[in-house]
Amino acid sequence: MNWSALLPELTLSAGVLTLFTLELLYGKKAFKAATLLAALFLALAAVSTLFTAHPERLFFGGFTVDALSLAGKLLLYALAALVLVSSYDYFIKRNSPYGELPYLYLLAVLGMSVMLSSDNLAVVFTGLELSSITLYLLAGLFKNDYPSKEGAFKYLVIGTTGTSMFALGSAFVYAATGSLRTVPYEGENAFFALGVVLILSALALKASAVPFHFWTPDAYEGAPTPTTAFMAAVPKLALYFLLVKLTYTLLSSFEDWRLFVVLLAVASMLVGNLAAYAQTSLKRLFAYSSVAHAGYFLTALTAVDEHLFAALLFYVFAYGTATVGVFTLLTVLEKALGRPARLDDLKGLYRTAPGTALLFALFLFAFIGIPPLALFWGKLGIFFGLVKAELFTVGVLFALGSLLSVGYYLRLVVLMFLTEPEREVKTALSGGEAFTLSFAALATLALGLAPQTVLDLLLRALP
Amino acid sequence: MEAVLNFAIFLPLLGALLVAVVRNELFAKITAVSLSGFVLLLALILFINFDFSKEGFQFETVVPWIKTLGINYHVGLDGMAVSLILMTALIFFAVFVWSWKIEDRPVLYLSLFLALETACIGVFAALDLFLFYLFWEAMLIPMYFIIGFWGHDRKVYAANKFFLYTFFGSLFLLLGIASVLVYAYFTQGRISFDYAFLSSVDYPLWLELIAFLFFGLGFAVKIPMWPFHTWLPDAHVEAPTAGSAVLAGVLLKMGTYGFVRFSLPFFPEASKYYAPLIFFLSVVAIIYAAMMAIAQNHMKRLIAYSSISHMGLVTLGTFALTPEALNGAVYLMIAHGLSSAALFFSAGFIYDRIHSYEMDRLGGLARYIPYFTVAFFLSVLAGIAFPGFASFVAEFLILLGTYAKHPVWAFVAGVGMVLGAAYSLYMFKKVMLEEERVPPERIERWKKLKDLEPHHVITFALILFMALLMGVYPYPFVKVVEHTARLVLGG
Repeated sequence: MNWSALLPELTLSAGVLTLFTLELLYGKKAFKAATLLAALFLALAAVSTLFTAHPERLFFGGFTVDALSLAGKLLLYALAALVLVSSYDYFIKRNSPYGELPYLYLLAVLGMSVMLSSDNLAVVFTGLELSSITLYLLAGLFKNDYPSKEGAFKYLVIGTTGTSMFALGSAFVYAATGSLRTVPYEGENAFFALGVVLILSALALKASAVPFHFWTPDAYEGAPTPTTAFMAAVPKLALYFLLVKLTYTLLSSFEDWRLFVVLLAVASMLVGNLAAYAQTSLKRLFAYSSVAHAGYFLTALTAVDEHLFAALLFYVFAYGTATVGVFTLLTVLEKALGRPARLDDLKGLYRTAPGTALLFALFLFAFIGIPPLALFWGKLGIFFGLVKAELFTVGVLFALGSLLSVGYYLRLVVLMFLTEPEREVKTALSGGEAFTLSFAALATLALGLAPQTVLDLLLRALP
Repeated sequence: MEAVLNFAIFLPLLGALLVAVVRNELFAKITAVSLSGFVLLLALILFINFDFSKEGFQFETVVPWIKTLGINYHVGLDGMAVSLILMTALIFFAVFVWSWKIEDRPVLYLSLFLALETACIGVFAALDLFLFYLFWEAMLIPMYFIIGFWGHDRKVYAANKFFLYTFFGSLFLLLGIASVLVYAYFTQGRISFDYAFLSSVDYPLWLELIAFLFFGLGFAVKIPMWPFHTWLPDAHVEAPTAGSAVLAGVLLKMGTYGFVRFSLPFFPEASKYYAPLIFFLSVVAIIYAAMMAIAQNHMKRLIAYSSISHMGLVTLGTFALTPEALNGAVYLMIAHGLSSAALFFSAGFIYDRIHSYEMDRLGGLARYIPYFTVAFFLSVLAGIAFPGFASFVAEFLILLGTYAKHPVWAFVAGVGMVLGAAYSLYMFKKVMLEEERVPPERIERWKKLKDLEPHHVITFALILFMALLMGVYPYPFVKVVEHTARLVLGG
């Protein structure tokens, strides 16, 4: 057996054990060091993907390493490390530097890693559960805080429903094909169709697509803000890598998958974008914005095409980077205000904290999709794909959907730049936050000016 | 010569960064004026060196950028582009001279305008569809903040409306670009955003009809064509003077430029197919906007409607598909850019002095600020296509070219021009003359008004000189513009 194919997972496991021991020995005292160490292990794991043997099948074919999963892991670890670097100050300020946090994050990433490296539905399920259960724990961290508990509980109940649907779907697929492997299936079978629909629904739930999105605003709002950043960016990336892999095999074997995906996508865009207008809490606003983005992303699963998938994965990564940036800014604001930031708190931010306001505006314009910011390429790529599949109507709906979103993003810009401040907001950045923010901002710009760096990586990796 | 073009595109952006970093008011003003003056000089050099007897684009620069997607940094000029860039550089220089005495956050103001200049020149020079789209969108953010920061009472509403409308259009433009790109990829096996490549592809009629609408929607919002025009009066009324001048003078021209540059060569069949629709919308714009202008009491709103009306004439000339009309259309883009900027500067001058745009509250000013009266009157004449001004040549060519093929539409458009003379002269009369209508205490105020200052004089002199030159000696300009008509219509 070629152990070097497991390099990234081994690195992460070593990290989990080290941090676990560290927590036993030092408890809360070493929180900052442990968090940064966790980020370091993620960075190491990211580097190790470059030396991982592939393609490789281990454990009787249950664990496969291919170029696509490696590319996914590389981006995943990078994004997760970015979140971790920014997180420590918030927990220290909130007086909850639990030593378990760093290795819980690592465990979640390990779960996603496993999820990406298998074409066996049972193993995928294991990875999905590992990451989901850790995320429930992370979301409910503030055990004395009612909204945090409520959000985590909702997340737990709805999330478990999702994983159960996934298990049931896998069972149906097994019943129809006699195998848990995700391979193209020819022939018509109601069980197979049902299985695919269930699996797709389960993943749509994890991606917070309408009508499975109800957990999103509460979980986002209840979770500690750095965890929200993690939830909004990292699992999404893993999920879309998985969805792309499944679209090649399972989904496209089911005739009407396109219709199903289009319905999910259009509903998500409309509901997400419209509901975002009604929010007063910034975290909830971005939760709905992520629902809308789930809609944009899903439109790319309507056709099997490597350029479309490369554009999608690029889009999700760019979105993840910008999202980490935005939630880090929300963390900073929350520390300054002493409570989660509301829309009103942004009033006149440009006067009181010009740097924060300018960065915020950069990320907002990135979400709107103004070139040359990274997210523009995702949007263009999806237009491409839809035109290629001759889905002009979906293209027009996508255009109208993203037009709808401009209103609430612009409202934030107006509040920050064009209204008078009501109170002085003094923002202070920790070293980690400054690093994450500058990295996210630079990446949003650089990926926009030179998208080929990541795009070529993805194009080479896609089968 | 290639370097001159690239400098003209990027010097203002460089200046914007420099100004934003140094944060010194006087430094900002000197940099803005001298840099934009230098860019004007560069544009003039390009214009003089432009060889209108040669076919194809000139001063081209191609640098590979994103190879995976076939995107190059590709700029180059034809006759239309070189003259529009000259006009753009002139208007921006005039804007910076005009803003010499601005007091409200001058550093931010000047750096936004400098960034805007790069975007505007870039749009006209880009020969790669991605680059074009990049500049096209890049202009949105500075303009949004210019209206939002320095506008009047309802500035936030106007800025948002401007952003949303334009963004709506550009999304469809993007969808259109994706359509032609994917088709070219399928038939030619190569992804490329290059203008020459995409215009050489022969698109099937069904795709032409769809993609023309996508592109057209993007351009129509920007021009703006009726019925997508409602953002324009609000944006103009609320924008600061210099913002209005750039908006009317340069930004609106991007839409009509897009029609000539992309829609006609890419979709020749669809252009013929949709011509009656465009004629209808143009003529409605000409007449309806002129009627609306007559009904206004707000100077800037009146000028805004007159812009819509004139832009209708441009689209009419563009889709008449005769060389004369197309020449006239391009000529009118430049002429109207100059005259509308001059009119907005006039309105802005009055607002600076009297703090009102309402024509009811003005009147009888002519005797007290005589130099301004001359400048304003010349601006009005430039706007109504008085012989001797550039727009006369332009509108004459449009009517000539349109009449040859579509006499009825030409006749209706001619009625619109008469209305144009009516509302412009009416505005002049209400603002500057009719002294007997004005209450005596206001006349007392008028007596204390200060006439044009040197920076105002330079602004007006530059723009009006250009408009007069193009009207009295149109030969070189028409020759340069003709270069594009040959390129687009062939032969």
